[in-house]
Amino acid sequence: MFLHRKLFVIIGCLILLGFISCAQEHTNSSYRVVSLSPAMTEILFSLGAGDKIVGVTTYCDFPPQARKIRKVGDFSNPSIERIVALKPDLVIVNLPEQKRIKSELDKLEIKTFISSPKSLQDIYKELAAIGDTLGLRRRADSVINYMKQNIQTVRTSDRKSVYVEISPKPLITIGAATFLNDLINAAGGTNIFEDLEKDYPVVGQETVIRRNPEIIILLHPEDASGRTGWQNIQAIKNDRVFKNLNPDHLMRPGPRLVDGFRELKRIIND
Amino acid sequence: MTKTIAIIIIFLIAIALGILVGPTRLDSEILQLRLSRVVLGIFAGGILAFCGCLLQGLFGNPLVEPYTLGSASGAALGASLGIFLFGAISPILAFLGSLGVGFFVYTIARIEGGLLRDRLILAGVVMSFLCSSLVMIIMVLGGRELYEILYLLMGYLGIIINATNRVMIIALIAISIGLVAFLYRYHRELDIISQGTETAAGLGIDIQKFSLVVFFSSALLVGLTVSIVGAIGFVGLIIPHVSKLLFGPKHIRNLGTSFLLGATFLLFADTLSRVITVYELPVGVVTSLVGVPFFIYLYKR
Repeated sequence: MFLHRKLFVIIGCLILLGFISCAQEHTNSSYRVVSLSPAMTEILFSLGAGDKIVGVTTYCDFPPQARKIRKVGDFSNPSIERIVALKPDLVIVNLPEQKRIKSELDKLEIKTFISSPKSLQDIYKELAAIGDTLGLRRRADSVINYMKQNIQTVRTSDRKSVYVEISPKPLITIGAATFLNDLINAAGGTNIFEDLEKDYPVVGQETVIRRNPEIIILLHPEDASGRTGWQNIQAIKNDRVFKNLNPDHLMRPGPRLVDGFRELKRIIND
Repeated sequence: MTKTIAIIIIFLIAIALGILVGPTRLDSEILQLRLSRVVLGIFAGGILAFCGCLLQGLFGNPLVEPYTLGSASGAALGASLGIFLFGAISPILAFLGSLGVGFFVYTIARIEGGLLRDRLILAGVVMSFLCSSLVMIIMVLGGRELYEILYLLMGYLGIIINATNRVMIIALIAISIGLVAFLYRYHRELDIISQGTETAAGLGIDIQKFSLVVFFSSALLVGLTVSIVGAIGFVGLIIPHVSKLLFGPKHIRNLGTSFLLGATFLLFADTLSRVITVYELPVGVVTSLVGVPFFIYLYKR
């Protein structure tokens, strides 16, 4: 009799333990995400979802914790095998750069999330969408609000013309289909190539000289000094050429655009 | 004689168009830019066609072009390494790359005995393939610098001129004038060698030494050109043929007319590439698209 009761208690405790550990497993039940977008990696961390990320690209370097996550390849050529080996529930891809990877993932029936923001509004929409997908909509909304609060359009009657140079050879600049264009507009400037619909058009020197920008922003390490034919451009004459901005604050569609925007505001409105 | 006058006139027209035609109104800065571009066009086009003529004569092979000896791929490799390591295109690295490959080609060609002339083509083609593969590896690893490497591979005259490449451009002009004048003396040897090496040897031409001189001169010239404007295709291959169709096979005429025709052709192509779209096209695209039908037309006559 006594023995039976002890047995009962022991079995009861074991069953209880079983339930508890099952419950534990459910709260830790991880949703495995592979992010092929450095910007989205940053966004996921800002949503507190960094622990869900099981694979990133070699370019995913922010925040510092992201660097410790397993790499599946670089931005243009991530390895489909490495991605699949991580058994992800979701893979975040960039279009159009990662079109090929996306179609391979589709064939393998792995769920993908598409990131392809061409404007600030697109970024906010994608933030909301990824928030919904991960069940973190409220946090996503607060990140969106943080960005909206800090990227407010500057009202100014004196808009400065801005030329952004992404590469010097050939000259690559930004067109209308970029969020950087939106940032410049918000900061009180006008992108001199806003009339071009492409995102990163290649332009000729003559056109830049003719459009005579008041401010030049270089997002590459080379100089703009000593260029034949450029000497009478306003930005060169008045020494309003800016070089040392962090391109990740301006070219990555994530919360750090707030920092980039602050820089832009300072440069354009000083 | 009239033909020569005709092409000189067309050459001058090409220069005029190169200066006057463009997306924007002409003023002093734009004039500076256009003049630089015209000078580049003359020398790049001229040198490529001249070297094409030279090499086609040396090897007696109508399909040889300046890049067969590996200078373009070498320059592309040097430049790509520069982009990969330093994030910026360095024309100096490109030049070193093409010289380096030139030396490699020569070394490979020398390994077994036999005629240097015959082995140079093979070694050049092999090195070109090797360099292209290496460039592609760099493109894959680099990823984002794809655009810059693309313009280097296709050729582009609208480059920004600053202190570094001004030096290289002046070097190109000086070395070109010197070497062209020097190599012109060998027009008769070229006539003979292009017909076959036995005759040449029989007439006492030192084929080994001749091959060496021509090879290194063109490696130097082409390497310098490609480092500055990229690998403009088609000019070096087709213009010597056009020249031969118009003026006959003798090199005393063809070396000079190739230079002139090459310069003219490239100037026209560059002017076109400036006005076709708002986005600047690499001139190599235009030379290929325009060159082929024009050549077919000329060939049919």
